[in-house]
Amino acid sequence: MITLENVSIKFNLDIEKNFSFKQLFISLFDIKKYKNRKETKKKNDFYALKDINLHIPKGSVVGLIGANGAGKSTLLKTVVGVMKPTTGRVVVEGAISPMIELGAGFDVELTARENIYLNGAILGYSKDFINSKFDEIVDFSELHEFIDVPIRNFSSGMVARLAFSIATIVEPEILIVDEILGVGDLNFQQKSENKMIQMITGGTTVLYVSHSLESIKKLCDTIVWLDKGRIIKIGGKEVCDEYKLKMSE
Amino acid sequence: MFFRNIILNLKKYSFLLNQLISRDFKVKYKRSVLGVIWSLLHPLLMMTVIAIVFSNVFKFSMPNVNYLVYLMIGLTFFNYFSEATNNAMGSITSNAALLGKLYIPKYIFPLSKCLFVGINFLFTLIPLYLVILFSGSGETKCVITVLHFLLPYAFMCLFVFTLGIGLILSSIAVFFRDIFYIYSILTTIWMYFTPIMYDLNAIPQGLQFVFKFNPLYWFIDFARQIILYNQVPSTNCTLYCFISAFAILFLGVIIFRKTQNKFIYYL
Repeated sequence: MITLENVSIKFNLDIEKNFSFKQLFISLFDIKKYKNRKETKKKNDFYALKDINLHIPKGSVVGLIGANGAGKSTLLKTVVGVMKPTTGRVVVEGAISPMIELGAGFDVELTARENIYLNGAILGYSKDFINSKFDEIVDFSELHEFIDVPIRNFSSGMVARLAFSIATIVEPEILIVDEILGVGDLNFQQKSENKMIQMITGGTTVLYVSHSLESIKKLCDTIVWLDKGRIIKIGGKEVCDEYKLKMSE
Repeated sequence: MFFRNIILNLKKYSFLLNQLISRDFKVKYKRSVLGVIWSLLHPLLMMTVIAIVFSNVFKFSMPNVNYLVYLMIGLTFFNYFSEATNNAMGSITSNAALLGKLYIPKYIFPLSKCLFVGINFLFTLIPLYLVILFSGSGETKCVITVLHFLLPYAFMCLFVFTLGIGLILSSIAVFFRDIFYIYSILTTIWMYFTPIMYDLNAIPQGLQFVFKFNPLYWFIDFARQIILYNQVPSTNCTLYCFISAFAILFLGVIIFRKTQNKFIYYL
């Protein structure tokens, strides 16, 4: 179960400009800019999420749709706990498994075997769990003969296959999916897509972000339409059609 | 409550910690021919170079003291501090990709670096004891006594202090990348302000108090009193080690906790 109450996330667009002595030095001679700094700071406030209220009961599959920059990924990050809301409250009951950017936790110097343990630990698996699922991971990735090779010698498709196999080995209570990824060659793409669809439809709570309205329609029972950080509409499959209509205007 | 949380968390994430440390080990030694032997060789070579420079070029000498052991204690302690803090400093920024995607307690990264270098530090005790056993003669010969069982106290204080500084630096590095350049200069200054190669008594009396603000001096002094002079370290020294180490760790924890929720916007 996931509940978001009045959640807002505020960014300051100034943030990219990291403080540096060079800038400090320049700003010393730019008194006008210095005086205006407070004002620009306020002007550059930007809400990635604004007053989001959302309740996701256990077992429902929720699709998030919206244009680029609507706040979909930020919403996922808030649920995962990577971002703390500026105001409001997020309550999550159940273990979350994020589909992390494939291979983000890999070390290229390590072998595939070592990376399975390292990446598994990063994803929060226990040692016993990895031991018991090790063969299954290797089987799914089809990398048997390369298991003791450092992954710096892998092709990018092989790395993606390994990462996908590790990330999808769990049966999580809450699954966070940022686009269904077909990775690897054609054969593996089909296999990995099927695996994800199987996970999504397997009775767990799912938060699913995609630009493919078709797959959202097919998989989700609830659809949330976000725009500029606000919820425009929550509903069933009809929301997709409304969104499509709006977009084609 | 706070401490209970920490212990529960450490238990929960001990496997991750374990994996991160063993990763660092494998990566560090995998592609070098001598591998882990470098951990033993490096301090010995450093010691040799410095000893030659100081006793032959600067004509520095300490009567009745085994200078090699004196030097070696200071070097192992300071090298641990400098390597661990430098590793910890970049530990948050270099894991940006992970921290943006899933929730892991962020302190795990500086902690794992301090522990990893700590294990390396334990390896460097081997060359230290080799020097203790095989150098010096007559008055300058060190003997190993039961007092050596007090040394882990100095190691613990050193570790706690280093972790504190590591937490502070890793947090600063997120907001202010220039710290990498600044700190490398600072470490050099810090090294020369720590009596590693020279004796504190070589400093004018009026200035000595400045050097005593440096907690590293006290950790090193604690070990030297035991190893070189077979003395139980003074109460002052013992207390000062403890207080400075935990005060810095406390400060580090506060700074890290205050800033960690903002990391994500700057990574």
